[in-house]
Amino acid sequence: MHVVIINGSPRIRKYSNTEKIIAAFANGLSEKGSTFETYAISDRKSWDIIRDAYIKNEEILIALPLYVECVPGLLLEFLETLPRKDEHTRLSFLLQSGFAEGCQLRCGEEFLAKLPEYLGVRYGGCLVKGGNFGIRILDEAKQAQATKPYQAMGKLFAEGDGFFREEAQKFTGPEYFSLPVRLIVGLIQKTLARKMFQKAAVSWGCRVPLDEKV
Amino acid sequence: MTSFLNAGTEENIMVLMVDTTRVHIGKRIAEELSRSGDNADGFELIDTTGMHISHCVGCNYCWLKTPGVCAIQDDYEPILRKMSKADQVWLISDTRFGFVSWQTKNIVDRIMPLVTMYLKFQDGQMRHVMRYDHQPDLGIIYTGDGDQAYLERWCQRTALNIGSRSLGVYSESKRKEAISCML
Repeated sequence: MHVVIINGSPRIRKYSNTEKIIAAFANGLSEKGSTFETYAISDRKSWDIIRDAYIKNEEILIALPLYVECVPGLLLEFLETLPRKDEHTRLSFLLQSGFAEGCQLRCGEEFLAKLPEYLGVRYGGCLVKGGNFGIRILDEAKQAQATKPYQAMGKLFAEGDGFFREEAQKFTGPEYFSLPVRLIVGLIQKTLARKMFQKAAVSWGCRVPLDEKV
Repeated sequence: MTSFLNAGTEENIMVLMVDTTRVHIGKRIAEELSRSGDNADGFELIDTTGMHISHCVGCNYCWLKTPGVCAIQDDYEPILRKMSKADQVWLISDTRFGFVSWQTKNIVDRIMPLVTMYLKFQDGQMRHVMRYDHQPDLGIIYTGDGDQAYLERWCQRTALNIGSRSLGVYSESKRKEAISCML
Protein backbone atom coordinates (compact mmCIF):
# COMPACT_ATOMS: atom_id res chain seq x y z
CA MET A 1 0.00 0.00 0.00
CA HIS A 2 1.17 3.54 -0.80
CA VAL A 3 -0.39 6.28 1.32
CA VAL A 4 -0.48 10.01 0.65
CA ILE A 5 -0.55 11.62 4.10
CA ILE A 6 -1.67 15.23 4.26
CA ASN A 7 -1.12 17.20 7.45
CA GLY A 8 -4.23 19.41 7.65
CA SER A 9 -2.96 21.56 10.51
CA PRO A 10 -2.53 25.29 9.95
CA ARG A 11 0.42 25.27 12.35
CA ILE A 12 3.85 25.19 10.71
CA ARG A 13 5.37 21.72 10.55
CA LYS A 14 8.12 22.37 13.06
CA TYR A 15 5.63 23.02 15.88
CA SER A 16 2.81 20.79 14.66
CA ASN A 17 1.57 18.09 17.07
CA THR A 18 -0.13 16.47 14.08
CA GLU A 19 3.23 16.24 12.29
CA LYS A 20 4.70 14.29 15.20
CA ILE A 21 1.70 11.97 15.26
CA ILE A 22 2.08 11.41 11.49
CA ALA A 23 5.75 10.49 11.96
CA ALA A 24 4.85 7.75 14.48
CA PHE A 25 1.95 6.53 12.32
CA ALA A 26 4.22 6.39 9.24
CA ASN A 27 6.75 4.29 11.18
CA GLY A 28 3.96 1.76 11.66
CA LEU A 29 3.18 1.80 7.93
CA SER A 30 6.85 1.17 7.12
CA GLU A 31 7.05 -1.71 9.55
CA LYS A 32 4.35 -3.44 7.52
CA GLY A 33 6.10 -2.73 4.21
CA SER A 34 3.81 0.13 3.14
CA THR A 35 5.20 3.32 1.66
CA PHE A 36 4.06 6.90 2.10
CA GLU A 37 4.61 10.50 1.10
CA THR A 38 3.75 13.38 3.43
CA TYR A 39 2.59 16.94 2.82
CA ALA A 40 1.44 19.84 4.97
CA ILE A 41 -1.16 22.44 4.00
CA SER A 42 0.31 25.04 6.39
CA ASP A 43 2.56 26.07 3.49
CA ARG A 44 0.20 27.44 0.86
CA LYS A 45 2.96 27.36 -1.75
CA SER A 46 2.75 23.55 -1.71
CA TRP A 47 -1.01 23.34 -2.37
CA ASP A 48 -0.62 22.62 -6.10
CA ILE A 49 1.79 19.77 -5.34
CA ILE A 50 -0.52 18.34 -2.66
CA ARG A 51 -3.53 18.52 -4.97
CA ASP A 52 -1.54 16.73 -7.67
CA ALA A 53 -0.66 13.93 -5.21
CA TYR A 54 -4.35 13.72 -4.20
CA ILE A 55 -5.36 13.38 -7.86
CA LYS A 56 -2.72 10.78 -8.78
CA ASN A 57 -3.07 8.48 -5.75
CA GLU A 58 -5.89 6.31 -4.43
CA GLU A 59 -5.04 5.97 -0.73
CA ILE A 60 -5.26 9.33 0.98
CA LEU A 61 -5.05 10.06 4.71
CA ILE A 62 -5.70 13.53 6.08
CA ALA A 63 -4.43 14.01 9.63
CA LEU A 64 -5.76 17.07 11.39
CA PRO A 65 -6.29 18.83 14.69
CA LEU A 66 -9.83 19.64 15.81
CA TYR A 67 -10.48 23.39 15.56
CA VAL A 68 -13.70 24.55 17.22
CA GLU A 69 -15.61 21.29 16.82
CA CYS A 70 -14.67 20.71 13.17
CA VAL A 71 -11.86 21.05 10.63
CA PRO A 72 -9.62 24.14 10.67
CA GLY A 73 -10.65 26.98 8.35
CA LEU A 74 -7.45 26.66 6.35
CA LEU A 75 -8.13 22.98 5.64
CA LEU A 76 -11.70 23.82 4.55
CA GLU A 77 -10.21 26.33 2.11
CA PHE A 78 -7.81 23.70 0.74
CA LEU A 79 -10.58 21.09 0.43
CA GLU A 80 -12.54 23.50 -1.77
CA THR A 81 -9.71 23.35 -4.31
CA LEU A 82 -9.88 19.56 -4.74
CA PRO A 83 -11.50 18.18 -7.89
CA ARG A 84 -14.16 15.50 -7.68
CA LYS A 85 -12.79 11.93 -7.97
CA ASP A 86 -14.41 8.52 -7.98
CA GLU A 87 -14.72 5.57 -5.60
CA HIS A 88 -11.36 4.11 -6.58
CA THR A 89 -9.93 6.67 -4.20
CA ARG A 90 -10.27 6.06 -0.47
CA LEU A 91 -10.09 8.99 1.93
CA SER A 92 -9.40 8.33 5.62
CA PHE A 93 -8.83 10.70 8.51
CA LEU A 94 -6.82 10.93 11.68
CA LEU A 95 -8.51 13.48 13.96
CA GLN A 96 -6.67 14.60 17.07
CA SER A 97 -7.40 17.22 19.71
CA GLY A 98 -6.25 18.81 22.93
CA PHE A 99 -9.29 17.81 24.99
CA ALA A 100 -8.86 14.19 25.98
CA GLU A 101 -12.39 12.72 26.03
CA GLY A 102 -13.73 11.01 22.90
CA CYS A 103 -17.01 12.96 23.10
CA GLN A 104 -15.13 16.16 22.28
CA LEU A 105 -14.23 14.94 18.78
CA ARG A 106 -17.51 13.40 17.63
CA CYS A 107 -18.93 16.53 16.01
CA GLY A 108 -15.75 16.86 13.93
CA GLU A 109 -15.84 13.16 13.12
CA GLU A 110 -19.40 13.47 11.77
CA PHE A 111 -18.28 16.13 9.30
CA LEU A 112 -15.34 14.00 8.17
CA ALA A 113 -17.53 10.93 7.70
CA LYS A 114 -19.73 12.88 5.29
CA LEU A 115 -16.95 14.69 3.47
CA PRO A 116 -15.81 11.87 1.10
CA GLU A 117 -19.26 11.72 -0.49
CA TYR A 118 -19.05 15.42 -1.37
CA LEU A 119 -15.68 14.71 -3.04
CA GLY A 120 -16.99 11.59 -4.81
CA VAL A 121 -14.56 9.26 -3.04
CA ARG A 122 -14.86 6.32 -0.60
CA TYR A 123 -14.66 6.82 3.17
CA GLY A 124 -11.90 4.88 4.92
CA GLY A 125 -12.89 5.72 8.49
CA CYS A 126 -11.61 8.17 11.06
CA LEU A 127 -9.13 7.51 13.83
CA VAL A 128 -10.15 9.68 16.78
CA LYS A 129 -7.88 10.57 19.68
CA GLY A 130 -7.62 13.46 22.11
CA GLY A 131 -5.19 14.51 24.82
CA ASN A 132 -2.49 15.81 22.49
CA PHE A 133 -2.22 19.47 23.49
CA GLY A 134 1.17 19.25 25.11
CA ILE A 135 3.12 17.22 22.54
CA ARG A 136 4.89 20.24 21.09
CA ILE A 137 6.29 21.34 24.45
CA LEU A 138 7.69 17.92 25.40
CA ASP A 139 11.33 17.03 24.86
CA GLU A 140 12.16 14.61 22.04
CA ALA A 141 12.16 11.45 24.17
CA LYS A 142 8.78 12.26 25.73
CA GLN A 143 7.34 13.21 22.34
CA ALA A 144 8.33 9.79 21.05
CA GLN A 145 6.66 8.18 24.06
CA ALA A 146 3.47 10.24 23.65
CA THR A 147 3.11 9.46 19.95
CA LYS A 148 4.19 5.81 20.06
CA PRO A 149 0.61 4.43 20.22
CA TYR A 150 0.02 5.87 16.74
CA GLN A 151 2.69 3.52 15.38
CA ALA A 152 0.43 0.55 16.13
CA MET A 153 -2.38 2.34 14.28
CA GLY A 154 -0.08 2.77 11.27
CA LYS A 155 0.53 -0.98 11.28
CA LEU A 156 -3.19 -1.61 11.52
CA PHE A 157 -3.94 0.78 8.66
CA ALA A 158 -1.36 -1.01 6.47
CA GLU A 159 -3.49 -4.14 6.73
CA GLY A 160 -6.01 -2.47 4.47
CA ASP A 161 -9.24 -2.05 6.46
CA GLY A 162 -8.91 1.67 7.02
CA PHE A 163 -9.98 2.63 10.52
CA PHE A 164 -13.04 0.39 10.69
CA ARG A 165 -11.52 -2.37 12.82
CA GLU A 166 -12.32 -2.64 16.53
CA GLU A 167 -8.73 -1.76 17.52
CA ALA A 168 -9.10 1.61 15.80
CA GLN A 169 -12.44 2.29 17.50
CA LYS A 170 -10.99 1.43 20.92
CA PHE A 171 -7.98 3.67 20.33
CA THR A 172 -10.09 6.72 21.21
CA GLY A 173 -10.24 5.79 24.90
CA PRO A 174 -13.07 6.89 27.19
CA GLU A 175 -15.96 8.90 25.75
CA TYR A 176 -16.37 10.66 29.10
CA PHE A 177 -14.20 10.52 32.20
CA SER A 178 -15.71 8.77 35.20
CA LEU A 179 -16.77 10.95 38.14
CA PRO A 180 -13.71 10.08 40.29
CA VAL A 181 -11.38 10.94 37.41
CA ARG A 182 -13.25 14.21 36.80
CA LEU A 183 -12.94 15.15 40.46
CA ILE A 184 -9.20 14.46 40.56
CA VAL A 185 -8.41 16.03 37.17
CA GLY A 186 -10.69 18.98 38.00
CA LEU A 187 -8.75 19.60 41.21
CA ILE A 188 -5.42 19.36 39.39
CA GLN A 189 -6.68 21.84 36.80
CA LYS A 190 -7.59 24.33 39.53
CA THR A 191 -4.21 24.07 41.21
CA LEU A 192 -1.08 22.43 39.78
CA ALA A 193 -2.04 22.74 36.11
CA ARG A 194 -2.60 26.50 36.48
CA LYS A 195 0.88 26.89 37.93
CA MET A 196 2.30 24.74 35.14
CA PHE A 197 0.55 26.78 32.43
CA GLN A 198 1.68 30.05 34.05
CA LYS A 199 5.25 28.73 34.17
CA ALA A 200 5.10 27.71 30.50
CA ALA A 201 3.72 31.16 29.70
CA VAL A 202 6.59 32.91 31.48
CA SER A 203 9.03 30.86 29.40
CA TRP A 204 7.21 32.19 26.30
CA GLY A 205 7.74 35.75 27.51
CA CYS A 206 4.31 36.30 29.08
CA ARG A 207 4.27 38.84 31.92
CA VAL A 208 0.57 38.93 32.83
CA PRO A 209 -1.87 36.44 34.40
CA LEU A 210 -3.30 33.96 31.89
CA ASP A 211 -6.85 35.00 32.76
CA GLU A 212 -6.10 38.69 32.17
CA LYS A 213 -9.11 40.62 30.86
CA VAL A 214 -8.08 42.69 27.86
CA MET B 1 -15.89 46.97 6.08
CA THR B 2 -19.53 47.75 5.44
CA SER B 3 -21.01 48.54 8.79
CA PHE B 4 -24.72 48.87 9.31
CA LEU B 5 -25.25 50.27 12.76
CA ASN B 6 -28.68 50.90 14.16
CA ALA B 7 -29.59 52.71 17.38
CA GLY B 8 -27.03 50.97 19.64
CA THR B 9 -23.53 52.18 20.37
CA GLU B 10 -20.37 50.10 20.35
CA GLU B 11 -20.79 49.49 24.06
CA ASN B 12 -24.40 48.48 23.57
CA ILE B 13 -24.55 46.09 20.65
CA MET B 14 -27.19 43.53 21.42
CA VAL B 15 -27.12 41.77 18.07
CA LEU B 16 -23.97 41.48 15.95
CA MET B 17 -24.21 39.98 12.48
CA VAL B 18 -21.02 38.94 10.68
CA ASP B 19 -21.70 38.43 6.99
CA THR B 20 -19.18 36.55 4.84
CA THR B 21 -21.58 35.68 2.01
CA ARG B 22 -20.67 36.44 -1.58
CA VAL B 23 -24.05 38.05 -2.26
CA HIS B 24 -24.14 40.04 0.99
CA ILE B 25 -27.45 38.73 2.32
CA GLY B 26 -26.72 40.42 5.64
CA LYS B 27 -27.73 43.81 4.24
CA ARG B 28 -31.20 42.53 3.43
CA ILE B 29 -31.53 40.89 6.85
CA ALA B 30 -30.43 44.12 8.56
CA GLU B 31 -33.00 46.09 6.58
CA GLU B 32 -35.75 43.64 7.47
CA LEU B 33 -34.69 43.76 11.11
CA SER B 34 -34.79 47.56 11.02
CA ARG B 35 -38.33 47.48 9.71
CA SER B 36 -39.44 45.01 12.35
CA GLY B 37 -40.37 47.57 14.93
CA ASP B 38 -39.23 49.66 17.86
CA ASN B 39 -37.44 46.78 19.48
CA ALA B 40 -35.02 46.44 16.60
CA ASP B 41 -32.32 48.62 18.10
CA GLY B 42 -28.75 48.03 19.05
CA PHE B 43 -27.66 45.83 16.21
CA GLU B 44 -24.67 45.96 13.93
CA LEU B 45 -23.87 44.25 10.66
CA ILE B 46 -20.28 43.65 9.65
CA ASP B 47 -19.81 42.64 6.03
CA THR B 48 -16.33 41.14 5.76
CA THR B 49 -15.98 41.81 2.03
CA GLY B 50 -12.61 43.41 1.42
CA MET B 51 -11.43 42.80 4.97
CA HIS B 52 -8.20 40.94 5.63
CA ILE B 53 -9.02 38.09 8.00
CA SER B 54 -6.43 35.34 8.26
CA HIS B 55 -7.07 31.79 9.39
CA CYS B 56 -6.05 30.79 12.93
CA VAL B 57 -2.46 29.49 12.81
CA GLY B 58 -2.70 27.62 16.12
CA CYS B 59 0.19 29.50 17.72
CA ASN B 60 -1.52 29.47 21.17
CA TYR B 61 -0.13 32.96 21.86
CA CYS B 62 -3.64 34.15 22.82
CA TRP B 63 -3.52 31.66 25.71
CA LEU B 64 0.13 31.57 26.71
CA LYS B 65 2.06 34.59 25.47
CA THR B 66 -0.31 37.53 25.09
CA PRO B 67 -3.42 36.27 26.94
CA GLY B 68 -6.62 37.48 25.28
CA VAL B 69 -4.86 39.03 22.30
CA CYS B 70 -4.46 37.36 18.90
CA ALA B 71 -0.93 37.48 17.50
CA ILE B 72 -2.20 38.06 13.96
CA GLN B 73 -2.56 41.75 13.25
CA ASP B 74 -5.30 42.07 10.67
CA ASP B 75 -8.90 43.23 10.44
CA TYR B 76 -10.19 40.58 12.86
CA GLU B 77 -9.43 42.23 16.21
CA PRO B 78 -12.33 44.78 16.17
CA ILE B 79 -14.75 41.96 15.26
CA LEU B 80 -13.54 39.89 18.21
CA ARG B 81 -14.01 42.81 20.62
CA LYS B 82 -17.54 43.38 19.38
CA MET B 83 -18.37 39.68 19.57
CA SER B 84 -17.24 39.56 23.20
CA LYS B 85 -19.65 42.37 24.12
CA ALA B 86 -22.69 41.39 22.04
CA ASP B 87 -25.64 39.46 23.44
CA GLN B 88 -26.11 37.62 20.15
CA VAL B 89 -23.67 36.85 17.37
CA TRP B 90 -25.16 35.72 14.06
CA LEU B 91 -22.85 34.14 11.51
CA ILE B 92 -24.20 34.78 8.04
CA SER B 93 -22.47 32.29 5.81
CA ASP B 94 -22.36 30.55 2.48
CA THR B 95 -22.11 26.77 2.73
CA ARG B 96 -19.79 24.16 1.26
CA PHE B 97 -19.73 20.43 2.03
CA GLY B 98 -22.98 21.12 3.92
CA PHE B 99 -21.00 23.22 6.40
CA VAL B 100 -20.18 26.92 6.81
CA SER B 101 -17.68 28.44 4.39
CA TRP B 102 -13.99 28.61 5.24
CA GLN B 103 -14.36 32.38 5.57
CA THR B 104 -16.87 31.90 8.41
CA LYS B 105 -14.89 29.06 9.96
CA ASN B 106 -11.82 31.32 10.10
CA ILE B 107 -13.84 33.86 12.08
CA VAL B 108 -14.97 31.17 14.54
CA ASP B 109 -11.54 29.53 14.84
CA ARG B 110 -10.15 32.86 15.98
CA ILE B 111 -12.51 33.32 18.96
CA MET B 112 -9.92 31.52 21.09
CA PRO B 113 -8.76 34.72 22.86
CA LEU B 114 -12.19 34.73 24.55
CA VAL B 115 -11.28 31.58 26.46
CA THR B 116 -8.31 31.04 28.76
CA MET B 117 -5.79 28.23 28.93
CA TYR B 118 -7.35 27.16 32.23
CA LEU B 119 -9.62 24.12 32.17
CA LYS B 120 -12.55 22.85 34.21
CA PHE B 121 -15.27 20.23 34.03
CA GLN B 122 -18.74 21.39 33.18
CA ASP B 123 -21.70 19.06 32.65
CA GLY B 124 -19.32 16.11 32.61
CA GLN B 125 -16.98 17.44 29.93
CA MET B 126 -13.78 19.41 30.03
CA ARG B 127 -14.14 23.05 29.02
CA HIS B 128 -11.94 26.11 28.94
CA VAL B 129 -12.51 28.70 31.66
CA MET B 130 -13.94 31.80 29.98
CA ARG B 131 -11.94 35.03 30.02
CA TYR B 132 -14.97 37.33 30.41
CA ASP B 133 -18.15 37.15 32.46
CA HIS B 134 -20.40 37.93 29.50
CA GLN B 135 -20.74 35.45 26.60
CA PRO B 136 -22.65 35.95 23.34
CA ASP B 137 -25.21 33.40 22.20
CA LEU B 138 -24.58 32.11 18.70
CA GLY B 139 -26.81 31.66 15.64
CA ILE B 140 -26.31 30.86 11.95
CA ILE B 141 -28.10 32.05 8.81
CA TYR B 142 -26.86 30.29 5.70
CA THR B 143 -27.16 30.29 1.93
CA GLY B 144 -26.97 27.23 -0.30
CA ASP B 145 -27.19 23.55 0.43
CA GLY B 146 -26.38 23.43 4.13
CA ASP B 147 -26.69 20.25 6.17
CA GLN B 148 -29.29 21.62 8.59
CA ALA B 149 -28.95 18.87 11.22
CA TYR B 150 -25.16 19.04 11.19
CA LEU B 151 -25.06 22.82 11.35
CA GLU B 152 -27.40 22.70 14.37
CA ARG B 153 -25.13 20.22 16.10
CA TRP B 154 -22.04 22.28 15.32
CA CYS B 155 -23.64 25.54 16.46
CA GLN B 156 -24.69 23.97 19.76
CA ARG B 157 -21.23 22.51 20.35
CA THR B 158 -19.52 25.78 19.43
CA ALA B 159 -21.76 27.74 21.79
CA LEU B 160 -20.91 25.23 24.51
CA ASN B 161 -17.24 26.04 23.96
CA ILE B 162 -17.81 29.70 24.73
CA GLY B 163 -20.14 29.09 27.65
CA SER B 164 -23.28 30.21 25.84
CA ARG B 165 -26.16 28.69 23.92
CA SER B 166 -27.21 28.23 20.32
CA LEU B 167 -29.86 30.58 18.91
CA GLY B 168 -30.53 28.11 16.12
CA VAL B 169 -29.63 27.62 12.48
CA TYR B 170 -31.74 29.08 9.67
CA SER B 171 -31.54 28.85 5.91
CA GLU B 172 -31.78 32.17 4.09
CA SER B 173 -35.41 31.40 3.17
CA LYS B 174 -36.26 31.13 6.88
CA ARG B 175 -34.48 34.31 7.88
CA LYS B 176 -37.70 35.82 9.26
CA GLU B 177 -37.60 33.19 12.02
CA ALA B 178 -34.02 34.19 12.78
CA ILE B 179 -34.99 37.86 12.82
CA SER B 180 -37.77 37.11 15.33
CA CYS B 181 -35.04 35.73 17.65
CA MET B 182 -33.17 39.02 17.39
CA LEU B 183 -36.04 41.18 18.64
